[in-house]
Amino acid sequence: MRIALAQIAPRLGDVEKNLDLHLEYVGKAKKEKAGLLVFPELSLTGYTLKDLVQDVALDPRDSPVFRKLGAESRDLAIVVGFVEEKAEEKGLFYNSAAFLYKGNILHIHRKVFLPTFGMFEEGKFFAPGRNFNVFAGPLGRTGLLICRDFLQYGSSYVLHAGGAEIFLVVSAAPGRGISPEARFETSRMWELMGEAISYFSTAYVIYCNRVGFEDGKTFAGGSFIFNPRGELQARCPEIDPAWMVEDIHPGLVRDIRRKRTFKRDDRPEIILHSLERTVSRYED
Amino acid sequence: MKIDCEFVERILTRFIREELTKFGYAKGILGLSGGLDSTVCAYLATKALGPGNVISLIMPYKDNFPQDVDDAREVARRLKLDCRVIDISPQVDAYFQKNPTDSPVLRGNKMARERMSVLYDFSAREKALILGTSNKSELLIGYGTIHGDMACAINPVGDLYKTQMRMLAEYLKIPKNILEKKPTAGLWPGQTDEEEIGITYEDLDKILYQLVDLQKSREEVVAAGTDGRTVDKILDRIRNSEFKRKMPPIAKLSARSVGHDFLYPYDRNK
Repeated sequence: MRIALAQIAPRLGDVEKNLDLHLEYVGKAKKEKAGLLVFPELSLTGYTLKDLVQDVALDPRDSPVFRKLGAESRDLAIVVGFVEEKAEEKGLFYNSAAFLYKGNILHIHRKVFLPTFGMFEEGKFFAPGRNFNVFAGPLGRTGLLICRDFLQYGSSYVLHAGGAEIFLVVSAAPGRGISPEARFETSRMWELMGEAISYFSTAYVIYCNRVGFEDGKTFAGGSFIFNPRGELQARCPEIDPAWMVEDIHPGLVRDIRRKRTFKRDDRPEIILHSLERTVSRYED
Repeated sequence: MKIDCEFVERILTRFIREELTKFGYAKGILGLSGGLDSTVCAYLATKALGPGNVISLIMPYKDNFPQDVDDAREVARRLKLDCRVIDISPQVDAYFQKNPTDSPVLRGNKMARERMSVLYDFSAREKALILGTSNKSELLIGYGTIHGDMACAINPVGDLYKTQMRMLAEYLKIPKNILEKKPTAGLWPGQTDEEEIGITYEDLDKILYQLVDLQKSREEVVAAGTDGRTVDKILDRIRNSEFKRKMPPIAKLSARSVGHDFLYPYDRNK
């Protein structure tokens, strides 16, 4: 299965222009005969939206933007980031990502962990998602996470327990920290988690970050793929827009899991039981 | 505090290029003082935009700093920049004839604001975006004139300490005598930053790095080998200069007010 990552720089608050950019990359992915095309977090809107959140929000079940993208998803699965306002939850805005395939919305993940500290203020403008779900996709059992979700490692555990063979992580991660190394200090953080989760979940981790500048923030790029052996298969450059096309082999998951038995030996019911006891003992 | 200069250069040139493009500008403009910071900015801007798209203004008062003017000219010549020399003496003298003062600080601030005024006028005339040159050390201790040299449209170097600016300057191979000259705000002849602040930039930056980047407490910085009085002096400078780093507070009355909860990104629809 061939997958493509679009490490793009969306225009802030301009859904129409961003849709054009997406369609351009859809064309490129089809030319490469890719089966999956991944865009970064909030790829249709840009990241630093603040009060623009309410202007760019849409309901994917009833949106011309999604109709156009859906129509392109007949032979190409597309992962796209957007601001979601559901008809049944008006006035609540989610930082969401959708997995489109064969004209359908196969899955929507609403970002659970909204960073709200230092330079981040997502909790001011977004409602938090409440769930992590694994779904059956064209690449196998798939989990979708958005940026900070991936750094809270419990999220990945839930997907692992649900049998995820593919972790898709979409991101709008600004680079922070300069050093004698030719990369941001925060880039290590993402790869560290990518390596650990892929190794111990014996699953693919596909991380698509964005680039470009918003209000002085530099989005770091550096998108990557770790294979189920925990090996870095490919990495995009930092800072620059990039386009990655890679073949992945979901059959590798079976191959590795025969030898590394982390998944077989997992005991989610014990974890759950222990978590329940921990949570029930909170004193405040 | 060491940096990979090539990586930083890549980020900053891309930043300059993208911000200008987003706002519909092809050209950047900056004041060249003959000092290190504006020289570094000129080099970055030239790499980002090409020499034909960078306008440099040299704005001397009388012949106060002839060597700096020569050095600034040399930078413009080396980089092949569109360079204009604008003497700010007439407007400054006219003002102080009516409102005399002996205070070198008042005179220096007025000159810094005249330069700002000329820069903004040329920005509009030439449709060129103003590049700021204030570094992180200056911004943190408030060593600059508000609405003067601190005024700009975008600042590519505001997150680099002076010592990091020197590393970048060396990497960019700016003229040697600019690299080696004593830093001065140029408010009056003979002034040097380090004498006025009372500490070398190396020492200042080490302390700022601990306080700001590493979020160490005063006690931890003192324990690491800086005397308490120096740390206190720097902490005072940081606290007392917040107004130079912020938009002024607006008295909130309505349900949705500018500066409080009317919140839009700077790069809106860009």
